[in-house]
Amino acid sequence: MEKIGIFYSFNSHKTKLIGEKIIESFNEGEIEAVNAETISEEDFLKYNRLILGVPTWFDGEFPNYWDEFVPALEELDLTGKKIAIYGLADQKGYPENFGDAVGLMADLVRKCGAEVVGETSVEGYDFERSKALQNGKFIGLILDQENQARLTPERLNMWIGELKKNF
Amino acid sequence: MKNTEIPEIYSIKKTSKETLAKWYHLMTVGRNIDDRAPNYLKQAIGWSYHAPYAGHDGIQLAIGQNFVKSKDHLFPYYRDMLTALSAGMTSEELILNGISKATDPGTGGRHMSNHFAKPEWNIHNTSSLTGNHTLHAVGVARAIKYYGDDAIAISSQGESSVSEGYVYEAINGADKEKLPVIFVFQDNGYGISVPKKDQTANRKVANNFVGFKNIKIIHCNGKDVFDSMNAMAEARKIIQEQGGPVIVQANCVRLHSHSNSDRHDLYRSEAERTYVQEYDPFAKFRRLLVRYKRFTEEELDAMDEAGLKEVKAAHKLAMKAPDPSPDSIYDFVLPEPYKAEKYPDGTHNEEGEKKKFITALNETLKAEFRQNEDTFLWGQDVAHKDKGGIFNVTKGLQKEFGKKRIFNAPIAEDFIVGTANGMSRYHEKIRIVIEGAEFADYFWPAMEQYVDSSHDYWRTNGKFTPNVTIRLASGGYIGGGLYHSQNIEGSLAAIPGVRIVYPSFADDAAGLLRTAIRSRGMTMFMEPKALYQDPKAATVIPDDFEVPFGKARIRREGTDLSIITYGNTTHMSLDAAEMLEKEGFNVEVIDLRSLVPLDKDMIISSIKKTNRALVVHEDKVHGGFGGEVASIIMEEAFEYLDSPVRRVGSTFTPVGFNRILEKAILPDTGRIYSEALNLLKY
Repeated sequence: MEKIGIFYSFNSHKTKLIGEKIIESFNEGEIEAVNAETISEEDFLKYNRLILGVPTWFDGEFPNYWDEFVPALEELDLTGKKIAIYGLADQKGYPENFGDAVGLMADLVRKCGAEVVGETSVEGYDFERSKALQNGKFIGLILDQENQARLTPERLNMWIGELKKNF
Repeated sequence: MKNTEIPEIYSIKKTSKETLAKWYHLMTVGRNIDDRAPNYLKQAIGWSYHAPYAGHDGIQLAIGQNFVKSKDHLFPYYRDMLTALSAGMTSEELILNGISKATDPGTGGRHMSNHFAKPEWNIHNTSSLTGNHTLHAVGVARAIKYYGDDAIAISSQGESSVSEGYVYEAINGADKEKLPVIFVFQDNGYGISVPKKDQTANRKVANNFVGFKNIKIIHCNGKDVFDSMNAMAEARKIIQEQGGPVIVQANCVRLHSHSNSDRHDLYRSEAERTYVQEYDPFAKFRRLLVRYKRFTEEELDAMDEAGLKEVKAAHKLAMKAPDPSPDSIYDFVLPEPYKAEKYPDGTHNEEGEKKKFITALNETLKAEFRQNEDTFLWGQDVAHKDKGGIFNVTKGLQKEFGKKRIFNAPIAEDFIVGTANGMSRYHEKIRIVIEGAEFADYFWPAMEQYVDSSHDYWRTNGKFTPNVTIRLASGGYIGGGLYHSQNIEGSLAAIPGVRIVYPSFADDAAGLLRTAIRSRGMTMFMEPKALYQDPKAATVIPDDFEVPFGKARIRREGTDLSIITYGNTTHMSLDAAEMLEKEGFNVEVIDLRSLVPLDKDMIISSIKKTNRALVVHEDKVHGGFGGEVASIIMEEAFEYLDSPVRRVGSTFTPVGFNRILEKAILPDTGRIYSEALNLLKY
């Protein structure tokens, strides 16, 4: 397996926690964490297998650190890279934009030539609209620690299992 | 996050360094003032109301940058400090407003702090009734379209104020008329402490308007300078290419409390407050400038220093500026009216054919609209081929003056009044006549615009006055019941800033209407609808008749008692005087014609002659305008009185529909006669 770069904010709480759990599930040396708050183009291009932690802020937006990287990101050639995206979101508080940032990021990296992997089922979620909902599935993994924290371990394990096959 | 569905004209990589520097300067100056504003209150200097804009930086910069001064029309709300600065106002002007100085360009210390305006550039002085300026923006956009201008109107407000019914009326009207107006909703998630989920079902309130036929909706990140600039540029382009209107929904954050009288720590968790701070738009913009190597930290530090220096210098100048003088409080309550030079007392000796009250109104409207092509008329039901209002007062106007000058309005009284206020902002020469409601009883929904318009002249320190005549069919005696018989002038007369006239004869109706239309300022023109067709109210009317405001008219001379009246009861008082003459009493009947301003001189001089006063009107005695008249007589003519001042009017009840009830409630000749007789025998 090629080395995976996992990108999330080191100053976040829930997104970081999930990122650490993902790291734990891989063998040492298989995965490296990169702080999304200080990311550079070189960091991003260094890996061919990437996992991005992209929580949804406000009514369907990127966090500031991803937002600030977008002008650089959208000019990168990501052809040949496989990218998986996870994000924290709140389906009760923000049912109209549930996990939108995951979908926005997927659209963005696909435009740059990347292949997005790690689709998940929408079963068990209750929301109105989501930009992450593409072809009847979530384009990545959406975790709702506000309302369905109990389901997180199972959802996460299943997703990591799928990623190991895809990566 | 940016809106990928609109063209990207501005971006961190594409925008010129010069433009970025200008924006950064505005943003650093704005934040300096925003952060320092609370200090003025702490030092008891002023700025007791400050609604910080921090968190709205992107969209506010963009609104100001997309406003063309003295061409476009900008209606900022109380949080729009950076909007005003970006639109061209100086730091000194912002501080002058904050600490309420006489030289504040928008209001001269009269309006609340944090209401930034410069009327001479069309940065309008808006109300604290948040969102009510949407109607003014629609009104001025109507003028922009009528006169073929390529300007736009921009209305800005918080997302919570979209809950106001008049905002819906404004957007509906703009959509119907395809007007060149941009409605910006600055969404920070809260209306003071109320989260937006308590306002409306959609989290993005702009989505409530997706079913509207012509309006375009653009979503943008109001925290991001580039996305906001692109959204505003696209909105303007849509208006220029397709006509309007456009809603720009700008998602912002509120970094601080609603205002300095609010504590957001009482209703927002620490986690939330930290979360929004992390997306401080100004800090983000600064990071972007460095990250993408457009400026170095040192260059930005130098610009920060220059911004601070500018604000400190502005502070010093503003502190030296004069305070408003207490002697100035009576300035700009009402503008000087048109001067009726041909008929200075509003009387005439013309002979010839008598015309009915309704004919007087219709012919005067036509005559005034012929002589001034910048006149407009609208209202409910007023503009049909063979019909002009429920009583046909405006019959034939649309046919003669066209659909662009004479048109129907939606059943939305506040919209009718608010857009009149707005349209008159476009040019001083415009004169607007509106039928405020089908009946005076239905005028209450327009009261917020009426009140707001009443103090525009005062609030702007004389820089803007709505040149509007509001016609209302008023009063009873038609068996109309609770919603077709009310008199509302008693309530209205308590509000300064609007003239109120209430003629009772055809010639006075013609003369007062002419004066109202030709005057600057707002006039409430009450029409006693029971007299429209009544031969008693018909008179000879000179073609060019004018009646000045504040001039009463003696309709019957007498020496034993003064009856002071107006409207329907003028005729009853004259009848009662005739009856009393047969009993040997000589009664004087004064028709006030104008309630505001009031002809106190004529009242007092009549009392000096008769020594007795009876005040009569159709409105309720309780709280009616007669109470004011009676008090004036008591205060200024008590020594001349030989009897108490008495009042006759309707009972303190609604007006019933059944004729038996109506008769029991409204005053009549018999009641006036018997009360007059009591006074004469006192």
